[in-house]
Amino acid sequence: MALHAKKAVGRLSVHVYDAPVRIWHWVNAFSILTLALTGYFIGSPLTSVSGEASANYLMGRIRFIHFAAAQILTVLLILRVYWVFVGGVHARQIFYMPIWSGRFWKEWSHEVRWYMFMGRQPRKHPGHNPLARFTMFLMFTLPLFFMVITGFALYSDGAGRDSWEYVLFGWVFSIWPNSQDIHTDHHLGMWVILIFAIVHIYVVVREDIMSSQSIISSMFSGERLSKDMED
Amino acid sequence: MTIGTPTVDTLENSGKRIVVDPVTRIEGHMRIEVNVDENNIIRNAVSTGTMWRGIEVILKNRDPRDAWAFTERICGVCTGTHALTSVRAVENALGITIPENANSIRNLMQLALLVHDHVVHFYHLHALDWVDVISSLSADPKATSALAQSVSDWPLSSPGYFKDVQARLRKFIESGQPGPFKNGYWGNASYKLPPEANLMVLTHYLEALDFQKEIVKIHSIFGGKNPHPNWLVGGVPCPINVDGTGGAGAINMERLNMVASVIDQLIEFNDKVYIPDIMAIGAFYKDWLYGGGLSGKNVLAYGDVPEHANDYSEANLKLPRGAIINGNLAEVHPVDHADPEQIQEFVTHSWYRYPDETKGLHPWDGVTEPHYELGPNAKGSKTNIEQLDENAKYSWIKAPRWRGHAMEVGPLARWVLGYAQNKAEFKEPVDKVLKDLGLPLSALFSTFGRTAARALESTWAGHQMRHFQNKLIASVRTGDSYTANVDKWKPETWPRMVKGVGFTEAPRGALAHWIKIKEGRIDNYQCVVPTTWNGSPRDPAGNIGAFEAALLDMPMSDPAQPLEILRTIHSFDPCLACSTH
Amino acid sequence: MATAETFYDVIRRQGITRRSFTKFCSLTAASLGLGPGAANAMAEALQTRQRVPVIWMHGLECTCCSESFIRSAHPLVKDVVLSMISLDYDEMIMAAAGHQAEAILGETRAKYKGKYILAVEGNPPLNEDGMYCIAGGRPFVEKLRWMAEDAMAVIAWGTCAASGCVQAAKPNPTRATPVDKVIHGKPIIKVPGCPPIAEVMTGVLTFIITFDKLPELDRQGRPKMFYSQRVHDKCYRRPHFDAGQFVEEWDDEGARKGYCLYKTGCKGPTTYNACSTVRWNGGVSFPIQSGHGCIGCSEQGFWDQGSFYDRLTNVEQFGIEANADKIGLTAAGVVGGAITAHAAATVIKRVTTKREKTEAQHGQETPS
Ligand code: HEM
Ligand code: HEM
Ligand code: NFV
Ligand code: SF4
Ligand code: SF4
Ligand code: F3S
Ligand SMILES: [Mg+2]
Repeated sequence: MALHAKKAVGRLSVHVYDAPVRIWHWVNAFSILTLALTGYFIGSPLTSVSGEASANYLMGRIRFIHFAAAQILTVLLILRVYWVFVGGVHARQIFYMPIWSGRFWKEWSHEVRWYMFMGRQPRKHPGHNPLARFTMFLMFTLPLFFMVITGFALYSDGAGRDSWEYVLFGWVFSIWPNSQDIHTDHHLGMWVILIFAIVHIYVVVREDIMSSQSIISSMFSGERLSKDMED
Repeated sequence: MTIGTPTVDTLENSGKRIVVDPVTRIEGHMRIEVNVDENNIIRNAVSTGTMWRGIEVILKNRDPRDAWAFTERICGVCTGTHALTSVRAVENALGITIPENANSIRNLMQLALLVHDHVVHFYHLHALDWVDVISSLSADPKATSALAQSVSDWPLSSPGYFKDVQARLRKFIESGQPGPFKNGYWGNASYKLPPEANLMVLTHYLEALDFQKEIVKIHSIFGGKNPHPNWLVGGVPCPINVDGTGGAGAINMERLNMVASVIDQLIEFNDKVYIPDIMAIGAFYKDWLYGGGLSGKNVLAYGDVPEHANDYSEANLKLPRGAIINGNLAEVHPVDHADPEQIQEFVTHSWYRYPDETKGLHPWDGVTEPHYELGPNAKGSKTNIEQLDENAKYSWIKAPRWRGHAMEVGPLARWVLGYAQNKAEFKEPVDKVLKDLGLPLSALFSTFGRTAARALESTWAGHQMRHFQNKLIASVRTGDSYTANVDKWKPETWPRMVKGVGFTEAPRGALAHWIKIKEGRIDNYQCVVPTTWNGSPRDPAGNIGAFEAALLDMPMSDPAQPLEILRTIHSFDPCLACSTH
Repeated sequence: MATAETFYDVIRRQGITRRSFTKFCSLTAASLGLGPGAANAMAEALQTRQRVPVIWMHGLECTCCSESFIRSAHPLVKDVVLSMISLDYDEMIMAAAGHQAEAILGETRAKYKGKYILAVEGNPPLNEDGMYCIAGGRPFVEKLRWMAEDAMAVIAWGTCAASGCVQAAKPNPTRATPVDKVIHGKPIIKVPGCPPIAEVMTGVLTFIITFDKLPELDRQGRPKMFYSQRVHDKCYRRPHFDAGQFVEEWDDEGARKGYCLYKTGCKGPTTYNACSTVRWNGGVSFPIQSGHGCIGCSEQGFWDQGSFYDRLTNVEQFGIEANADKIGLTAAGVVGGAITAHAAATVIKRVTTKREKTEAQHGQETPS
């Protein structure tokens, strides 16, 4: 990784995000926003609709969209995990943290200083900077798995004790026997991810403007351009 | 007719100490210790509540609108009465009024509980104190039938019917697996019914078991289930819709018909089974009039069953209210729940701690802090009590007092008050029972009197139910189907700090909950419960509670068999989960 | 000792015909959701076996489980007690008290070693050495453990025995403890509910004696036959849930039309119980049918899920309570504020840095 970073400085553009990662990013972002919106309305439903029950399916539809987005998100997450193993080094970054590496923490503190206006220049990182990686791992990757696990456990409530969802995720009830607790935690998980998204979008926009590398366009093209070289 | 209240000075602590633990056929856990003299007469009595759960502690900081559900779980036998008391306390604190229909429905539920609890108490918790199961096997079914038909025109009373029941009982007992009848005190000299009366009441024991489940359908209709139906601050949760879209799922004609049919059945059961059985027992136990205790001296009732919604004044309550002291029936004292001088709880002899235990606390300022310790003269160890030391702390029940007096509460207390207030609907039935049995008024103050008052009250309640059923229908007829007031449902609409009190007449007597609400949460919650009154231990002034007082001076025919103790204690229908909560 | 009587003997002697006996069996089997084959097995069992001894113990409780039990419509509890089981010890209804009652325990333990069912209502407290529930002068928990040693199986009646219930609600002052935390090495069948439905209770008991085996249990130790679906799954108001039609306020138009009670806090979606199918009190109603949401009374810790009227659970956080949305929105607000501040600081910093840079460049350009 250190090698990469060195090399990157010398090159105009470096390939960081493989196509599957990019596709995943955008589908994932879209699914999560859908899940958050529909999830919110599952927790606090809209004002009642009038007419016969048989003629309406508002809550059913909201839940359907939630579950559909959840399935899409899950399938892509599985593919994304597959890509952790076959994709490039950058594909792996947000799935583990090298907490044992002194260098990671040094660079991490450098980033923290930069965001606290204490550093003059952000270091250049072809993939994620250590702080981004750290935040993504804690506030996105782990919560996302949590959401999928608790989400499918909740789904098994309705799918039944004989469903594959229950077979795979029923163990969650051994931790939280009352599924109301799972609802609450699943709901809190949404807020963790939403807060991540807010910070994330702010940071990428800011970095795009402030730093000397391409940021947002990288998530479209996959290439990281060094603006210094362009200058 | 002024009689002093019994205090510890009247007790004789020598003689043989007898321990009954567990006391069975009650709700919850209880222990009785008595001293009998050389003539087997009880000279000292100690009653102990042996369980505590801490519901008052658990209620702290909770949403007051939820309190009914917690307090309802104080007891599954008098299920619902704590819930009703609780919603009343919250409504009183927050100034919430309820619709007239909600009042009728609540009364129907409360009265259904009264009937259910009284019937189950008499047949399934108390009857075996009067009825000898083994003796019933030698009854002549024909003579039993004749007896039954002479006291009532209840249809189930043919010789063949009694013959079948007897045969079933015989096989059951002779099977070698007599279940709940095992090790009973059969043959004890204190059993006085002839075999035919034993068989008749025992047969009704089985019928009552079948029937009691019908009574509670009223709870199920309005509250969704029984035990532990649902209640609501501001009214009742069940909407009324007799003539509109979706009516099938609300209180509608079919539901009202079911309520009416249950009421008809229970009135018939009371008239044709319960009351005649009580009269039969009375006829044979006329000479066994022990167990009066405090009933002829100090009785207390809060009143209940408001005719109109939101008016809890004495004049609007169908069950009597007031206090009688020292047996002076000529003077009924008014009772005020808010007066800090009237109702107070002491813990000198209870397993709790107060900052100053020589004083009582009014429930609004009540403290519930458990503190288990045995007195220096107790025998055994902390976890193996052989004998209690009643001069120290000895019960999980607190000691409530009204102006310093130990009081008896319950059906008999209510009926004595109604009698003393010259209310015809209470006085006439009492006089009739006494006259039919050829007994003086003083006979009312006894174990049997308690049992008889309960039966009279069951009958009374049945007719009140019909009244409120009709009232509910009349109200709906005028187009009023309002059942809940939601104006102050949201905590944002509440004052920052308020307090309130709610009361009912529970099956076992006067019940009240005191609540303090601070910033939308429960700040303090205190329940003083019928069995807290009746089962109370001593207080610093030495006044003894109703259970203990009732046991005094009662002879036992065989001290190894606590039959008389059970009979008298059961006549109160003790509920220990209630008493300690 | 006379030969043990069977249920069949009893009812035949009562003049009940073979036909109505068979009918009784099929009705009971049907109420358990079992097929006609089961009815035959049940008939067989009731005709031949001695009644199974049951010891019914009470810990810290409110006794409504017993009260519920006696409400059973099919079978009638009279028939259960007289003809199906041998209820040798139950403080609530037994004739004997004190020593005579306690004696039965030891006797049963010796005589029916490994053959009796221990039914427990309520639970033992462990604080104060167990003396928050005293039985015969000793901690209830001792008696419970002692009787469990030789039991064939344990039935934990109600939410108390199954998971603690009201006395175990926070702060659980007595440390009331579910039965499976103090009894080990015995099959424990949990039949939760506050109380459980009468016919579920008698159903579980008659299942055991009829089929001579313990019911299949789920992950949490509850019989699958009654606890594998949520109240919500079979709720007759479910179409209104799916349609998005809710009771918004007590006694509103929706309430009178029977709309879904989700918004008034109904816990049917997270509650495993048979209420919406078996219903209560002989099928008369169940909480939702009478207009109040399910409070989740068969679920573990249902007392500590915030108000019964809130759809979203209150979470205790830093001493204050708020639901997930309030916590999330507050956090999002704080983060949003921090971002705005950070953005502002960034702009200021950038402007000043630029000026410095420009000034520095100017400086360079200026000939000294
Ligand atoms: C980041 C992803 C997700 C977010 C933000 C999210 C959000 C939410 C929210 C806020 C709720 C309402 C919880 C409540 O208060 O009761 C909810 C419910 C639910 N979610 Fe998700 N969710 C996500 C992923 C998933 C996944 C992957 C599944 C898997 C199937 C899932 C299944 C469910 C189910 C079954 C419910 C309960 C629906 C009901 O009770 O009717 N969710 N979700
Ligand atoms: C307008 C919306 C968004 C934009 C412009 C955006 C942009 C970006 C960019 C530029 C990166 C690369 C950052 C870097 O190289 O350090 C990135 C990475 C990422 N974004 Fe977003 N993003 C958006 C929304 C979201 C949302 C809603 C989520 C999920 C909550 C999300 C999750 C992620 C994740 C997990 C990565 C890391 C991908 C990886 O390394 O595998 N993004 N995003
Ligand atoms: N004592 C008492 Fe209760 C009653 N009746 C309640 O208040 O039984 Ni459990
Ligand atoms: S589970 Fe509920 S109903 Fe049963 S004893 Fe406990 S509190 Fe009562
Ligand atoms: S009333 Fe309750 S159980 Fe029924 S559909 Fe609505 S949320 Fe589900
Ligand atoms: S509150 Fe209990 S009774 Fe049934 S509907 Fe809910 S589980
Ligand atoms: Mg109290």
